[in-house]
Amino acid sequence: MTPDQESLSEFHWLLEVLQTIDVGMLVVDLEFNVVAWNGFMENHSGIAPQDALERNLFDVFPDIPRDWFEHKSRTVIQLQNRAFTTWEQRPYVFKFKNNRPVTGTAEFMYQNCTFIPVANIRGKVESLCIIVYDVTDVAVSKLELQKANQQLKYLSRTDRLTALFNRGYWEELLEAEFRRQQRANRPTSLILFDIDHFKPFNDTYGHTVGDDVIRKVAEVTRETVRNTDLAGRYGGEEFGIILPDTPPQEAVLLAERLRERIEEMIVDSHDQRLQVTISLGVAGYDSELNDHNQWIDKADQALYLSKETGRNRVTLA
Amino acid sequence: MTAATEKHLDEELRDVLQELSNVAMGRAADLLARLLENYVILPIPVVNLLERAELNMALSSLEEVKSVSAVCQGFVGSRIAGEALIIFNDTSFNDIAELTNFAGEITPQIELELLMDIANILIGACLKGLAEQLDVSFSQGQPVLLGQHLSLRDLVTDQAGNWQRALTIEIPYRLEGRNVDCDLLLLFTEDSLKVLEAKIEYMME
Repeated sequence: MTPDQESLSEFHWLLEVLQTIDVGMLVVDLEFNVVAWNGFMENHSGIAPQDALERNLFDVFPDIPRDWFEHKSRTVIQLQNRAFTTWEQRPYVFKFKNNRPVTGTAEFMYQNCTFIPVANIRGKVESLCIIVYDVTDVAVSKLELQKANQQLKYLSRTDRLTALFNRGYWEELLEAEFRRQQRANRPTSLILFDIDHFKPFNDTYGHTVGDDVIRKVAEVTRETVRNTDLAGRYGGEEFGIILPDTPPQEAVLLAERLRERIEEMIVDSHDQRLQVTISLGVAGYDSELNDHNQWIDKADQALYLSKETGRNRVTLA
Repeated sequence: MTAATEKHLDEELRDVLQELSNVAMGRAADLLARLLENYVILPIPVVNLLERAELNMALSSLEEVKSVSAVCQGFVGSRIAGEALIIFNDTSFNDIAELTNFAGEITPQIELELLMDIANILIGACLKGLAEQLDVSFSQGQPVLLGQHLSLRDLVTDQAGNWQRALTIEIPYRLEGRNVDCDLLLLFTEDSLKVLEAKIEYMME
């Protein structure tokens, strides 16, 4: 072979490799006309080379967010510095279908991209190369992990029966609120309440009916409290509500409204139409309290007084 | 840093690395200033050989900061390997958005764009500057988002792996008249140190 033929054959296999490699490669000039691309780009886009080469990138791929792409490219060209984009930032730059159309769970291909300034022999940037990596598998598993973690977080905080906060998490919230009170003393109140005569009630109608009653009380509670209030299931038929930025007098009004609504509430369960009442205790934060348990005790004593004095009523500690 | 850790790093090597970082960091700062059209206060790079546990201390300047976002990017070439870590104070986003003329609400998505823009420039330019001076070239891996709005403690404890010591170059970038806090950490693996030393020795001859 002559040296010319030799370098030509070397060039040939290099092109062959670029054409076949399972990574996308695209070169555009500074006006964003497509100069070259490889098999990956052609196969995934389904666009024939004659419809892409020497045509404007944004005509060939109308889905590309033009402003974003131009901004990225300008920075790369001006600063002569590579830029990387990740799927977290933008799931894809080129809208391709998932590489596994049958068994894949994602609809489209998640991509990481690298923007590389390409200089000519005089060192002047004349074109821009974009490398496209298929990262669908990584992205999908990371997203699923995030979802699972969120679900786990929700489950670990939620009471299964009522979907209110469970005792553990609700107490954490109360503890946090207590600490906040020690720093910035703004009026905050606590309501504890429980369902009157629940035990005999449970014994008479059975646990599934009892569960329906608890669920319904929780539902009415959820509808009555404000967005900022934190309601949780404290024990079997006992509930707690934290009311941030609420003086005790206002908390009593809310407690009274809740008491009335529960009194009017009718539970349809297993062909029974049932009515229950609740007794409530309200306790505002005061600086005499040493910890959040004492705050609960204070509300609990008020609740006990409500029970003592005839039930279905609100007592302020 | 304590004196005990300092004696492991040859003083001359430290000086040279400090000087190399100065040049590289200056170039990156220049690019950042051009992108943001805002004067960048030239920081002083801190070169150290850190035990793993001491990474905490290297980050101590950020300790009062509640929440940060971070991007890391691996690099390798000529038997030198390491990771670049950008730690971005979350309170900086408003100012950066203003400087890059992002109108409208700063969503987590926009924050991510800004973070990646800054990371691309600072990491890219710094590595390029260092590589050119050392006459090597680095391949950069894809950057990985370490998570937005982390507490600093989470960031450090999440740094798994079995490395023991690392050469660190810490470059704290600040913008003049702006509330922007951004630290660039270049971490080189222990076995890269020998190669670096050889390169520098050759340079000095």
